Amino acid sequence: MSLRDWPIKQKLTAMLLLISGLVLLLTSAAFVTYQVVAFRQTTLKNLATLGRVIAANSTASLAFANQADAREILSALKAEPHVVAAALYDKDGRLFSRYPADLPRDSLSAAPARDGYRFEQGHVIGVEAVAEVGSTRLGTLYLRSDMKAVSRTLWLSAGIAAGVMAISLLAAYLLAAVLQGWISQPILTLAETATAISTRQDYSVRAPKLGEDELGTLTDAFNQMLDRIGDQNRALKASEEELRRYAGELEQRVAERTHELEERNEALRRNAAELAASNTELDAFAYSVSHDLRAPLRSIDGFSQVLLEDYAARLDEAGRDSLQRVRAATQRMGTLIDDLLKLARVTRAEMRTEAVDLSGMAQDIAAELQRTTPARQVEFAIAPGLGARGDPRLLRVALDNLLRNSWKYTAKQAQPRIEFASIQVNGTRAFMVRDNGAGFDMKYADKLFGVFQRLHSASEFEGTGVGLATVRRIITRHGGRTWAEGAVGQGATFYFTL
Amino acid sequence: MALLSALLTRAAKPSRRWGMPGAWAVPLAVLLLGGGPGLAAQTARASEYQLKAVFLFNFAQFVDWPADTFSDAATPVVIGVLGEDPFGSVLDQTVRDERLRGRPFQVRRYQSVDEIKTCHILFIRRSDAGRVEEILARLKTRPILTVSDADAFAERGGMIRFVTDRNRIRLQINPEAVEAAHLTISSKLLRVAEVITPSGR
Repeated sequence: MSLRDWPIKQKLTAMLLLISGLVLLLTSAAFVTYQVVAFRQTTLKNLATLGRVIAANSTASLAFANQADAREILSALKAEPHVVAAALYDKDGRLFSRYPADLPRDSLSAAPARDGYRFEQGHVIGVEAVAEVGSTRLGTLYLRSDMKAVSRTLWLSAGIAAGVMAISLLAAYLLAAVLQGWISQPILTLAETATAISTRQDYSVRAPKLGEDELGTLTDAFNQMLDRIGDQNRALKASEEELRRYAGELEQRVAERTHELEERNEALRRNAAELAASNTELDAFAYSVSHDLRAPLRSIDGFSQVLLEDYAARLDEAGRDSLQRVRAATQRMGTLIDDLLKLARVTRAEMRTEAVDLSGMAQDIAAELQRTTPARQVEFAIAPGLGARGDPRLLRVALDNLLRNSWKYTAKQAQPRIEFASIQVNGTRAFMVRDNGAGFDMKYADKLFGVFQRLHSASEFEGTGVGLATVRRIITRHGGRTWAEGAVGQGATFYFTL
Repeated sequence: MALLSALLTRAAKPSRRWGMPGAWAVPLAVLLLGGGPGLAAQTARASEYQLKAVFLFNFAQFVDWPADTFSDAATPVVIGVLGEDPFGSVLDQTVRDERLRGRPFQVRRYQSVDEIKTCHILFIRRSDAGRVEEILARLKTRPILTVSDADAFAERGGMIRFVTDRNRIRLQINPEAVEAAHLTISSKLLRVAEVITPSGR
């Protein structure tokens, strides 16, 4: 577990222990160091005292070369077990006596070292001059003491320090365990309260205040925050309730509207079905009527012709003229019936969808128009490569009607021009047939594509008023759209999409 | 400090024990080295007096004279040799440049006791052994440390005798004579010497 994740109790205890441990460690180190330094100095001083006493006692031995006496004096060192070796050198630096008596000679230096007391190679060394006061030097005393006393002091003081440290740390731990509660208890209480609130979502709980310190302030702030959260929660719940009510109402209203719409849709569908039925009926009716009308019309035309051919001599000029008019009228009626039949066929015919070359189709139609009326000079501008998917037969009828329409309305134009091209309208491709013929008033633009709707008299431009209606029907059956733009005397443009 | 008190007690109680044979044989042997066999006796004799000269000089460090024997602080310590001088220049060499509490040393040679005026240590030769009683009587209780290698010198009223014993020189001291001359002898010196008491006290 990372130090960061320790419980605050442990953190506080650890902190207090760390601080007191560090202080104790430093104090103990200082204590042990002082002990050792002081003891080393004392050891040196003691050895120096010993050295001076022995040196003072050894003067006569050296002065009068009495080795027995010297040996006896040195043997008194037995009382000081730390002194491991001692020696007396005479005035000329020769070894005179040694302690202990069986000490090997080579463990002593052949000549005395320089005077003084010092630590040397793990031992305390003392070299003292042997002389009577105010007189010449008689020789040299050498003392060697082991460091056991020093190291014993070191271990003893280290042991005492360790013991004191252990007891102090234990006391510090116990104190810390109790004292950390001053800081940790309010925090823990606060944390418990916070946990209880977040798990139970109960904002009515309040943290108990344990003192007037910063933690007390924190507890107050926490409780105030809880008050505000509680208030806001209530407000939130109220507005939620309201929202839910609104949503309910809204749903109900939507359901009602949907129901209404469904009813209306149903009605519309019924209407459409009725309309389709009546349309079919109407088509059937128109077809049969047109079909049935042809027979009597043919009789009228045939008998009028018989009258004109066989009985022309018996009729006067007015009679013949009347018969001529009858014939012209019957012929016009025949054309009308043909167109109506064509329109009906367009509606009833089955669709075969394939790729259609509209440019080629327009070229064919233009050539045919030129051939039927070679006297007219019309300029055709047909964009190459235009194609679409659709029923070739129906599309040819539609294109034929459009071009023929333009051909017809440019008849009075000095320099007639008819254009077939495609443009982009609102991102979809539209085909257009444009002429510079008579044009029309835009307020009748909607009527152009109706059956029998004509803007010009038959005497002005012959026609049945069925062509553009046929075009619209074909395009509609292809899922496309038709519209027209124009102005009187300014020509007209017819658009369709597929 | 048990050791210290033990040492101090020992110092006050002179030991009667003597060192083992050859105690000063080491320095002597070193001195003898390099000498041929023919010269041995002469050299040994010379080194014996060399050692005696050193001892004479050293006595000054362990004996206290009455204050009036020195007229001032620079008055020299006088070592006298009575009669024929066996030391030659050895004694002069030994004390040359030496000081005792600031005092220099002086060697004087006397033919008769009458010549002796200021003298602190007087060496009487063994050849004068016959005259010892006479000499000592004439010196009476003058504060002069009398030293000799004459036989039974201490028993006869002398103060310190050199005893030559198998290449060693031992000391015999007569404390009564020393006391009578108002001299004080260090207990340390007594410890390394044999104490002789002629009166049998």
